[in-house]
Amino acid sequence: MTRMESNLQQLGGSPGELAGRLRQAEGGALALVQSRSGHPTAKAGARWVHSAYDPVAESRLWAEAQQTSWKDGEVAVVLGVGLLYHVEALRDRAGRERTIVVVVPDLREWRDACEARDWGTWASEICWLSGPVATVARELAGLGAPLRLLPYGPAACLHEEYYRALEAGLRDILAAQASGRVHVAVVGPVYGGSLPIARYVVSAMEQLGHRVTWVDHSLHHASYEAMGAIQSRRNQQILQGGFGDLLARFTLARIAEDPPDLVLALAQAPMSLGVLQQLRSKQFLRAIWFVENHRHLTYWQQVAGGYDYWFVIQRGACLDALRAAGANHVSYLPMAADPTVHRPMELSEAELREFGSDVSFVGAGYGNRRDILPSLLTPEWSFKIWGNEWEGADALRPVLQRDGGRVDTITCMKIFNASTINLNVHSHTGRGFDPEGDFVNPRTFELAACGAFQLLDRRTLLPELFEDHELAAVSSSEDLPAHVRRWLHDGPGRDAIRAAARARVLSNHTYVHRAKALLSEVGVSEPDRIGALLRGAREAERLIERTGDCPELASLLCAPASRQRVELRDVAAEIRRKGPTARLSQAELLILMLDEYRCETRDVA
Amino acid sequence: MTSRKRAILIQLARLGDLVQSLPAYVGIRRAHPGVSIDVLCPVPLTPIADLFPAVGRALGWDGGRWREWGCRWEHDAQGVCGQAAQYLTALVSHRYDVAYNLNQHGRAIVAAHLCASRVRGPGAGGVLSTIVPPWAAYLRHVAATRGVNRVHLADAFCGLCGVRPPSVPPRLEVRDTVLPADLSAIGSSGGCWIALAVGAGDAERVVPPEVWRRWIAEFLAADSSGQVVLVGAGAERDAARAIQDGLTGLQLGRVWDTTGRLSLAQLAVCLQRCRWVLGGDTGPMHLGAALGARAMGWYVARARVHETGPYGAGHAVWQAEPSVGGGPRHWPIEASLALLLDGAGDPVVPGWSLWQSRFDEWGTMYSSPREDDADAARQREAVWQALHPVVTEVTS
Repeated sequence: MTRMESNLQQLGGSPGELAGRLRQAEGGALALVQSRSGHPTAKAGARWVHSAYDPVAESRLWAEAQQTSWKDGEVAVVLGVGLLYHVEALRDRAGRERTIVVVVPDLREWRDACEARDWGTWASEICWLSGPVATVARELAGLGAPLRLLPYGPAACLHEEYYRALEAGLRDILAAQASGRVHVAVVGPVYGGSLPIARYVVSAMEQLGHRVTWVDHSLHHASYEAMGAIQSRRNQQILQGGFGDLLARFTLARIAEDPPDLVLALAQAPMSLGVLQQLRSKQFLRAIWFVENHRHLTYWQQVAGGYDYWFVIQRGACLDALRAAGANHVSYLPMAADPTVHRPMELSEAELREFGSDVSFVGAGYGNRRDILPSLLTPEWSFKIWGNEWEGADALRPVLQRDGGRVDTITCMKIFNASTINLNVHSHTGRGFDPEGDFVNPRTFELAACGAFQLLDRRTLLPELFEDHELAAVSSSEDLPAHVRRWLHDGPGRDAIRAAARARVLSNHTYVHRAKALLSEVGVSEPDRIGALLRGAREAERLIERTGDCPELASLLCAPASRQRVELRDVAAEIRRKGPTARLSQAELLILMLDEYRCETRDVA
Repeated sequence: MTSRKRAILIQLARLGDLVQSLPAYVGIRRAHPGVSIDVLCPVPLTPIADLFPAVGRALGWDGGRWREWGCRWEHDAQGVCGQAAQYLTALVSHRYDVAYNLNQHGRAIVAAHLCASRVRGPGAGGVLSTIVPPWAAYLRHVAATRGVNRVHLADAFCGLCGVRPPSVPPRLEVRDTVLPADLSAIGSSGGCWIALAVGAGDAERVVPPEVWRRWIAEFLAADSSGQVVLVGAGAERDAARAIQDGLTGLQLGRVWDTTGRLSLAQLAVCLQRCRWVLGGDTGPMHLGAALGARAMGWYVARARVHETGPYGAGHAVWQAEPSVGGGPRHWPIEASLALLLDGAGDPVVPGWSLWQSRFDEWGTMYSSPREDDADAARQREAVWQALHPVVTEVTS
């Protein structure tokens, strides 16, 4: 019997169909080489898949390192095949009752592994999965247990796309099935563009049924501004820096009082590295949605390692730069709209007169806008510019509304709804459209959600968010007047695009979608924490099922009014409601003690 | 045969608080001689609770483990409750007849009810009771208003337990513990050995290294046989190094740096071999005082001599006057040296006042050499009289 046939016999427990497919597969994905220790090892191109010295020892170290993250009750999903030394080592270390799944993206590689060396009985104790990503993701989700993804880097990187798609598939399944309640502390900035985003995130999380602690630093804006009035630049910086530190400690104190499952900061939130490290020492999960252009706002370099999860609105260089700066887990999460705020509106005649025009632009007077917008000054159409920071733009003065005053959100929505064409020119400090323009700004989604027609500058990330028939994009600023002219005279065309854009936002691009994606991304990587919560593993019924032979605990779990997720604080609060003269059982006292320590803040804040 | 009654004294705060609980412990022993008393304190402090005279057992309370369980409860409610119950059974196999609780926070109150059938001190009315015992209410009031108070915290602890302060300041009993070989000579030669506690619980109470350095240099110059022992935890090693950095080789020959090198039991041995212990309002300083050394404190920021001065008679505290922004501008270096070396009293130091302790039937009281303390003594006695019915209550 050949080595391959002998190895295939070890797959007896696996579907025979899999062995058949393996027999038919050709090898040759890996080049086999003898290692210094005498064991076969492998290369893929110039890349070593296992150690050139001792692949067995290397794999043992890898398996040992996985033990800290792989929790009881979780299924280990190994990503990366190679010659399977690492799978064998993991199987050796794990108890027989623990399930290990190996996902095989390429049968050729698996065949190489099968021919390279003799498999022991361990191979029969592995669950092998191969096939299209969607099928594998469904099968994994169908296992009904928390999944711990364990990538074996040197082999996993050969099929990066496949595994990334698999993670996305698992994330989507988790998002679709999410029924549990997570407690999220959302930390907002003192002021700025990410402040409204923070509010939309809070609202979205609440709409999804999660519990939110909203750490709203906008309350402190007036004090921050007052410090800006100090004339000495040095003193101003010292004061504002100190104020930022104070707010960071305030955040810490708020979080410590009611510990969340996840701390989610928005860009510009006052979170110093020191505070983030303190949160890490207390094992709080920390995420940030950096809704800024990473090329312009660069403080991420100092805090990259302070967050467990980064969500950014750019791809490519942004992801690479953050990883290089020490961020562990970086994901793309584009902007969105909140349909409860950004919506079609019925306007009165007076409002239409005030806010309406053929062409409008809402925004601050960045350099490229000052450069582009004068080309639209023509008697052919009415034109209105709204927003601040237009000082010195004399040519635009006749169309600048409210003397360049700030425009609040509700007014903004009225302008969007009242304008025939809304210009959406992404900000840029140079001239014309941003040649490096990649991310899509919130305005794009907001206008679309309003059912308003917009002309925007083309962005490299636009096509994956909207199709051509959903938005009208312009490639060059010189072409803008011609596009305005064309669309102004095409009412039916505008209507079709407006409707398609709004439908697209409602089905894919709301903050609820983003909140779901964010939580499920964290949930896939944290199956025992956020993942378990999303799956509803902490809901009263499920907890009671697991109380086994402890009826007293079960009755305590039954007590809280909410039938949804039961937190320790709920059970403790229920006990405290018994009143000052109550005599408590030992089980009740234990719950109170655990709750006292859960919210012990002395060494946190 | 009647079994002996059992009590447990609960003190879950820091080293200084545990040492300040010694008078209450001794007071309970005196009031209830037939009762066996154990002490419950944070795990790292059990070596000090072990030094309480005739203590039954020193039990370590593992707050870190409770915290971890609290965070893990939702993952595994039954497992956590089971482990917590097991932990408790291993710690306290039979419930005590009474728990004397000295802490006002919920953790200690619940611990007291988990350990004992009856509770004295905070939580006496029940674990959820909103009624605060008179002495606990008094301490809360003092802490909240920072008003006039001449009852020492250690004596208030006695009040919480329903007993009078002991008739003499109690001492800890040092056990045989070996110091590291290179430190074993500490206290063995004649001369004045001074232990200097370089750290402080709070950053704002820390005395700057350059101040200590000057103090040491002047002390060594003034007393040719004097020796200085730097004491503190591992986290204070840098501060100790900073103190030594500017000293000459000759001076360093008379400075013993023990920071981060001694267990608590060894620290106790080391402090007992010193004539004086100096420092801010720190655990090692209170420990030194409870081991028989004379203590001299430099109290800044929120540290208050009348509440947390070293317990017993013959100690001195320099209390900094409140200042706006930053710590004191001057430090009582020369004045404290004069007091220590010559016993000279009442030197004037701008921004500071000197207080010296005495001991009487109501415990420890600090007075200024420049003050007629009759009013203060009356105020203290009035507090005791007001709370007297509680003090005399029979507890066993």
